[in-house]
Amino acid sequence: MGEAIVITSGKGGVGKTTTTANLGTALALQGKRVCLVDTDIGLRNLDLVLGLDNRIIYDLVDVIEGRCKIHQALVKDKRVDDKLYLLPAAQTTDKNAVNPEQMKNLIDELKREYDYVLIDCPAGIEQGYKNAVAGADRAIVVTTPEISAVRDADRIIGLLEQEEIEPPKLIINRIRKGLMNSGETLDINEITTHLSIDLLGIVIDSEDVISSSNKGEPIVMDPNSKASLGYRNIARRILGESVPLMSLEDEHKGVFKKLISIFSK
Amino acid sequence: MKKQLVHIKGTKEGLVLRLDDQCAYAELVEELERKVSEGGIDSKVDVQLYLGYRYCTSEQMTELIQIVQGPGKMLVSNVHSEVITVEECNHRMLENQCDTYVGIVRSGQVLKAEGDIIVIGDVNPNGRIEAGGNIYILGNLKGMVHAGVNGKEDVIIAASHFLPTHVMIADQIEVMSNEQPIVLKNADQLFAYINSDGKISYNRLQDFRNIRPLLTTSKGGS
Repeated sequence: MGEAIVITSGKGGVGKTTTTANLGTALALQGKRVCLVDTDIGLRNLDLVLGLDNRIIYDLVDVIEGRCKIHQALVKDKRVDDKLYLLPAAQTTDKNAVNPEQMKNLIDELKREYDYVLIDCPAGIEQGYKNAVAGADRAIVVTTPEISAVRDADRIIGLLEQEEIEPPKLIINRIRKGLMNSGETLDINEITTHLSIDLLGIVIDSEDVISSSNKGEPIVMDPNSKASLGYRNIARRILGESVPLMSLEDEHKGVFKKLISIFSK
Repeated sequence: MKKQLVHIKGTKEGLVLRLDDQCAYAELVEELERKVSEGGIDSKVDVQLYLGYRYCTSEQMTELIQIVQGPGKMLVSNVHSEVITVEECNHRMLENQCDTYVGIVRSGQVLKAEGDIIVIGDVNPNGRIEAGGNIYILGNLKGMVHAGVNGKEDVIIAASHFLPTHVMIADQIEVMSNEQPIVLKNADQLFAYINSDGKISYNRLQDFRNIRPLLTTSKGGS
């Protein structure tokens, strides 16, 4: 029996879909069977980020309305052998086509076959949010170091605390080291004390994330990116490992300075 | 001799009408009407009604008052009753009790209390507390607070870290954008109250005992 994790944020554009795609891929790379569910009915895009858009035949609403079996609608990601699947959202209807009870049944069915079911939640707190949360056992709240995103995260955490699920965990996404170190944005400490929930991990803002999303390849496939490391660390923490938080210190040291720092230890 | 259902007694403050609480209501009304119309009173006089252990609905209460005031000589100044309904009693208990909330009042959440409330945790921006009585916050107050929702003006709002966006007491509202000097100087351990001019003002918790000495209910510290 697997575990269903909803990835939500309240505010749009903070990186829910990117986070879902990357955490899913990272967990699959660790050898877990993962199913990603896009619940943003009417505005699907998780398939694009994963580069699976041209293989979709059936979607979530088809499954719920009984037009096909679940395994017919699931799209396999061939890059991670037989570990990662996507259940795409419907594009032609709206979020009211599904109700929370139907979603719960669907997620329960998926949990039987997969180790992790990651649910990509739409922005907002209306029907789509309620559907996405209905089947989840745990929740991950994604925010960025902006006051608007933190405010909405606060709201969504309040709503999640009303649900019968474990206390939500926090991911701070799109951190810009320079701005954070100079105090232009909220720092990690301020955000975690304000929201007072456990921090699951941080992800450094990087242009590679945007370019890789546009190519349809999750950034975790590229082991050299800082953002990739952030997602990999979060995946390992989800699996129960304890991984220290990556530091935000600048690492533009020359070879000479590195040598000095080695000898001065 | 038949038992008297209405006793009339004269006191310094006027007449006291003691109504029997065991007989039927209809009988009581009948007897009261007769007694009142007997006359013998020349000038206007204040009357106090004692209902004893009879429960009267508000319609019955006004009917009784109207009967007494009917001839125009007697004026009901007060109605005493020994009983209240469970509903009323519960309401009074709620108004006087102190609720405790452990947790964070987050953006968009509204925490309501009939009486006082103690919040052990923060009130985040856009979070809101509404209480009929006082509000005490053991944490950071960064949201909106409304004490004395039902119009009580002698209530206070206290917080260990006092940085609200809106402060409301009874029907007064203060937007904290026009920063108060005392709050700006140090936001620790402050409270808000309505001062003698009827304006919301702020002070250190140390001065609390001088401003609301009546709030203390325990005499501790020997």
